[in-house]
Amino acid sequence: MDGSVKVTGTPALDLRSVRRVYGFGPSATTALDDVHLSVPAGRFVSLIGPSGCGKSTLLRIAAGLEEPDHGTVRVHGVEPAEACAAKMIGLVPQSPALLPWLSVLRNVTLPHKINKGAARRRERIAGNAERAATGAPDMRELLVKAGLGEAMHKLPAQLSGGMRQRAAIVRAFGLRPDVLVMDEPFSALDEFTRESLQDQLLDLWDELETTVLFVTHSVSEAVRLSDTVVVMAPHPGRIVDTVEVDLERPRGDRLFGERRFHEYEDLIRDRLRRAWRSEAA
Amino acid sequence: MTVADERTAEAAAGTEPPAEPSRYSLRHPKSRIAWIRPAVWAPLLVMLALLALLWQWGADELPYLLPPLGKIGTSLTAEFGYYVDNALVTLGEAAAGLGMGFAAAFVLAVLTSELPLLRRAVMPIAVVLNVTPLVAIAPALVVAFGFGPLPKLVIAALICFFPILINTAAGLRSVPRQVLQVYRTIDAGRVELLWYVRIPHALPFLFAALRIVLPLSIIGAVVAEMSASGSTRGLGTVISVASSMNQLPVVYASILVLAVMGVLLLLAVTLVERRVLHWHDSTHD
Repeated sequence: MDGSVKVTGTPALDLRSVRRVYGFGPSATTALDDVHLSVPAGRFVSLIGPSGCGKSTLLRIAAGLEEPDHGTVRVHGVEPAEACAAKMIGLVPQSPALLPWLSVLRNVTLPHKINKGAARRRERIAGNAERAATGAPDMRELLVKAGLGEAMHKLPAQLSGGMRQRAAIVRAFGLRPDVLVMDEPFSALDEFTRESLQDQLLDLWDELETTVLFVTHSVSEAVRLSDTVVVMAPHPGRIVDTVEVDLERPRGDRLFGERRFHEYEDLIRDRLRRAWRSEAA
Repeated sequence: MTVADERTAEAAAGTEPPAEPSRYSLRHPKSRIAWIRPAVWAPLLVMLALLALLWQWGADELPYLLPPLGKIGTSLTAEFGYYVDNALVTLGEAAAGLGMGFAAAFVLAVLTSELPLLRRAVMPIAVVLNVTPLVAIAPALVVAFGFGPLPKLVIAALICFFPILINTAAGLRSVPRQVLQVYRTIDAGRVELLWYVRIPHALPFLFAALRIVLPLSIIGAVVAEMSASGSTRGLGTVISVASSMNQLPVVYASILVLAVMGVLLLLAVTLVERRVLHWHDSTHD
């Protein structure tokens, strides 16, 4: 995996002095304060922290769904809005957000029918031509790979929660996004389903190399999936630490038994606790 | 939201892929087969028989209150063509009015969902007019438009307009936020979002509105016919003329025809609803 990641000059995601405040006057809360984050292309980065630490806000700002009050955001060197217009960003929200009247296949292919001018815009964005030229992957194949081959022609209502979320992941990967943003996509699933989905996510990521920004509140999930874990704290929402997870890939079930895995977990838990304590003090 | 969920669940149950009928189509075959069992239909039959007896007793005791069922039956069979002709006139007025009201309400619903300023201007008025008994303006419309079909169309259209507008607007605006976010990150245009997401999402709301306004459109047409004393056709006219001449069997035969018409229309909407939601499901490939 590491050998094939192209390291270009511009980071996939670059946030500088980002600040976001909700509300006005005394009731205003600072969701993000002076956030700097630079993610090289091809990295899997998790944001972790207690609720109110601004991790979801950061994700929405990176995905162009929200504007920062201060600071700059760049996705492969362009503004998030421009990146959206070029279909460079794939979003997997907390709920699968599938359209209930479309089959799974139609759900995952619908994004290809929308905003068709994006391909041209994407080519024009520097350093991106190669990726844009690869075109859309075969969605049927991708669905089969995700274990949805049988379910392809079913409606979302006929699927289990795990299968629906898999379909949502396939829909996002099908765009061959330069940046994939995922907002606690597995938080509503049971433990078994969650682990099998984590495996599948890593498989797909391995194949369709992309940068991932992954919001989670599970420490073990963050360690298992990420190259980098960004630890955040609330009041005001900020980044308190960045932990590089130096574990070889692919990361299978074996990993759970390894000492180094648990060392990383402990390290991140410790950082989270320290952030809490410094706030209380 | 809940209406939509129920409807889509219904649609899902009704539009299963043929490969696995046993798993997803339990509802319909079951409910059809269920009618074979006497426990299901017997109570209704007994109730109807009791009501008929009560009716006959009332007709015997108070001839000016109710006509005997037999006379209603003879009137219906003897002049079947007459009832059908007049029913078709009323049906035509109701359907044309419904069509007009539907088209106008749908267009306005789309516009208000896209233009917040227009929404703020229009929706409060729509909510007030929706609870106003619009049939009350039927006599005024007759004064304005005469005894022809026009006042009937206008009243039926007006009655249908507001429920359709309010329901469709609610449907267009109730697309879950996370769905919208997915399509915002790929910069979907307004028209694309309307066509692929908002309008299909609003369809169950729209059918719910249709179920409400179908009987209303008939009420509108009948009331308009009754208000226009110069009308010559339509079941409303038949009823008002027959009442003034003490022909109670004709009055109740007409009412029966109207009831049957309403049931058939509702059945038609149910069939179309299944077809349309099925269409959305099955268009792949």
